[in-house]
Amino acid sequence: MKHWARVAVVLCMALVSTVSLARELPDDPFQSVMWESMAERFMPDGEIVFDERVRVMAPLSAENQFHVPVTVDATALEDVVEIVAVADLNPIPLVMSLRPTEALAFIGFRLKLQQTSPIHVGVRTGDGVWHVGGAVVDAAGGGCTAPAAAHGNSSWMQTLGETRAYAGRDDDSTARMTLRMRHPMDTGLAAGIPAFYLNELAVRNDAGKIIAELDLYEPVSENPTLTLKPRVGPEQMILHVSSRDTEGNTFSFPLDVPAATGL
Amino acid sequence: MQWFAAGCGCALCGSASARLLDYDLMAVEVASKSWAVLGRTEYFSMDNGGNIVNVAFVEVPDGVVVIDTGPSKRYGDALRVLIEKTVPGKPILRVYNTHHHPDHFLGNQSFDASVIAAPQKVIDNIGLEGNGFADNLYRLLGDWMRGTNAVAPGIALQADREEIGGRAFSLYYLSGHTSSDFVIRDDETGVLFAGDLAFLYRAPTTPHADIVSWRESLNVLSGIDKSLLIPGHGPSDDKDESLQQTGDYIDWLYGSISDSVKRGLTMNEAMALPVPARFEGLGVVRSEYERSVVHLYPGLEDALYPVIEVSQ
Repeated sequence: MKHWARVAVVLCMALVSTVSLARELPDDPFQSVMWESMAERFMPDGEIVFDERVRVMAPLSAENQFHVPVTVDATALEDVVEIVAVADLNPIPLVMSLRPTEALAFIGFRLKLQQTSPIHVGVRTGDGVWHVGGAVVDAAGGGCTAPAAAHGNSSWMQTLGETRAYAGRDDDSTARMTLRMRHPMDTGLAAGIPAFYLNELAVRNDAGKIIAELDLYEPVSENPTLTLKPRVGPEQMILHVSSRDTEGNTFSFPLDVPAATGL
Repeated sequence: MQWFAAGCGCALCGSASARLLDYDLMAVEVASKSWAVLGRTEYFSMDNGGNIVNVAFVEVPDGVVVIDTGPSKRYGDALRVLIEKTVPGKPILRVYNTHHHPDHFLGNQSFDASVIAAPQKVIDNIGLEGNGFADNLYRLLGDWMRGTNAVAPGIALQADREEIGGRAFSLYYLSGHTSSDFVIRDDETGVLFAGDLAFLYRAPTTPHADIVSWRESLNVLSGIDKSLLIPGHGPSDDKDESLQQTGDYIDWLYGSISDSVKRGLTMNEAMALPVPARFEGLGVVRSEYERSVVHLYPGLEDALYPVIEVSQ
């Protein structure tokens, strides 16, 4: 009896895993042991293909495991709906997702790494396909479980949300904005410090129309530094950035994009 | 029997790696009774064991003065053997640490801490970051590091000169490569031990650099009367070529990275930019440039991007 029960359980499990693997996963060129799990959790539904048009720029080795720079350029793909970045071996893998409605499929950000890890970036196009690129970054340990540098200073709350920014242009139809906001981005994994991080950021035009929306998660580095490329006209314009953190603090500010030269 | 076989295997392993992990240090006499031990112009690797740094020693009338101690206990031990072989029977009277980077002081353990001297700020820096550096070198160098701990100098210096064993040394308290860079001149021979303020045919490193003060320190070093300069990395230099080359490189680096920040480039975009052809002869220049982008970007972003008024 016992034996048959065990066989039944095994059969059931086999059935379940067959169903959940109905989507064929391509082999991971970055040989991550977590690849299947990352794809299931963070790139649900739709076909998955590794695609060289998803360019993921990251250093081979992290000079600083608290600030690992990553730039994703998927501008060679048409009709990009969403960009999702995960660091497979982080205790919290999901780093950020971007919906670049009226922006190029491009983002620069920095992340914390807990150890050497593959980074996968899934870029979903309008047809539902996930185009995936990535990189492997060698890193010393502990990027996610150490207290933020801000906690070394008792007055860190006073500068929360303080923002420095650049707004300019790559060309007549493309703006470039880099912003740097003071925030500890606490992961909740450092002893005695609960999770506290910027989790939403949106960029709108003067008419209130969404240009780009970002969801940020715990692994984004302290004092998030983000670069986006909104699609704009040649005339001078204001980009409106609004952001909030997990405690409900909101931060809004305008960025002035100059007119294209020669206008 | 199984136990015996395992023991045998291990013994073989041990002797094989003991043979491999030999720094094979060599002393080059660069001036009368002055020897430099020149490291490779590379980055830390399992292959070089961290022997990428220059250390030096000087025979003075009553003993020996040592400048920097290398990246590991194993290196420090090898350095002591080399000194004893070169200058037999002479006591080590003074060990100077030029700054707190791990390749320059993690051999301290092999020496008596009570003769190791540095400015107070170097001692503080070793206290703050020394063990973290050691941890990271264990990761990069593995067994080369066995038994290595950070040992801080026992003597804090502030004098402009000191006499050791019958020989006078001039001491210079500078900064820029780190927050405290200590330079020593042997007043008898005129040899200047410049630490990592000077690099030659090896790209300068910037993890703790303040480029503006580094530039000022290079000007100070140019003005010091000397017969020869031993840079922290690269060959010995008798015509201030290291000062010129280091200055040229850090000026370019600072200008180029500032420009990238001003254009709103991401770090990765900045890292992909070309390095001018005139720096191609500098060892590991590509990877050091990329590391420097990470080091210098946050400070330059804070300095160059205006504060934006935020409404809550």
